[in-house]
Amino acid sequence: MVLSNLPGRIVSLRAERLLVELVYSLMDSEYVAEDRQQTNASLAAELEDVRLSRQGDSDAYTRLIKQHQSHISRILWRFSRDRLVHEELVQDVFVEAYMSLGSYREKAPFVHWLSRIATRVGYRYWKQQARRHETESFSLAEWDQLPDKSPEDIDPGQAAELLHRLLAQLQPRDRLVLTLRYLEECDVAETARRTGWTKSMVKVQSLRARKRLEKLFAQAGKELQR
Amino acid sequence: MKNESLFEALAARARSESPPVVDVAGRVIARLNAQQSRIEQISEKPLLWLAAASSAFAVSAVVIAIMVYNASTGPLYEISQAIAWVVQ
Repeated sequence: MVLSNLPGRIVSLRAERLLVELVYSLMDSEYVAEDRQQTNASLAAELEDVRLSRQGDSDAYTRLIKQHQSHISRILWRFSRDRLVHEELVQDVFVEAYMSLGSYREKAPFVHWLSRIATRVGYRYWKQQARRHETESFSLAEWDQLPDKSPEDIDPGQAAELLHRLLAQLQPRDRLVLTLRYLEECDVAETARRTGWTKSMVKVQSLRARKRLEKLFAQAGKELQR
Repeated sequence: MKNESLFEALAARARSESPPVVDVAGRVIARLNAQQSRIEQISEKPLLWLAAASSAFAVSAVVIAIMVYNASTGPLYEISQAIAWVVQ
């Protein structure tokens, strides 16, 4: 009796499992749909805030600033590690964005448009620094001591600081492309979008910047051997 | 290349760094308001000059009109003068 019922029981167990999987997948799709609805709603609210800001509604623009300031702060922390300058640059981005709100075509997310302005503001700051010959000091010995430590043992802030000062030895153009490609982890298309360069220009510039960086390392090695 | 791989490893490490927390909303709005009032002041100046010039022109036009009105006589004055001369 038990044996004769066994195949049927196996079949019913399988059916039960399939049913459970189906229910879970349905629940997942419901969550995804809910998530998508929420995203669409927040995007619509953001667009509404952009439109209100264009009409001079400062509350709407305050909401936009509060929503995106941490992202912009993250981008500009790569351009200046001086807290006062960094905050000034973040402010500049939002002032500049407000002034050119009319040119935002609402085709891409607002945050992409802001990131482009942030990159432009940061790059302009580097160019001004280079014109004034304000290069941050960098000790070659610091870099040489690093191989003793595993990169995982280094504090993220310390690693970022070291790279910031190392890249400051390069021209702003090289520094920008290396920062975007390595530190911001942008691909060629994203780098092109953020800088306003063509994709082929980004590729050429990356290659040149990497060569200049290698040269910098070679020089560092020679100086350390002396 | 040893340096390059170290560079990449450091970049990966640096990516997990959290930037300082900023709240610039108030200062941005204040800067925008200051900028806006400066723009308004600049854009108001030509309008003020235009208003002053047009009122000066209007005042002089009124003065000239009054003078001409006082100097002129009725429209039939010349005809009546001619008739009076013929009658005599």
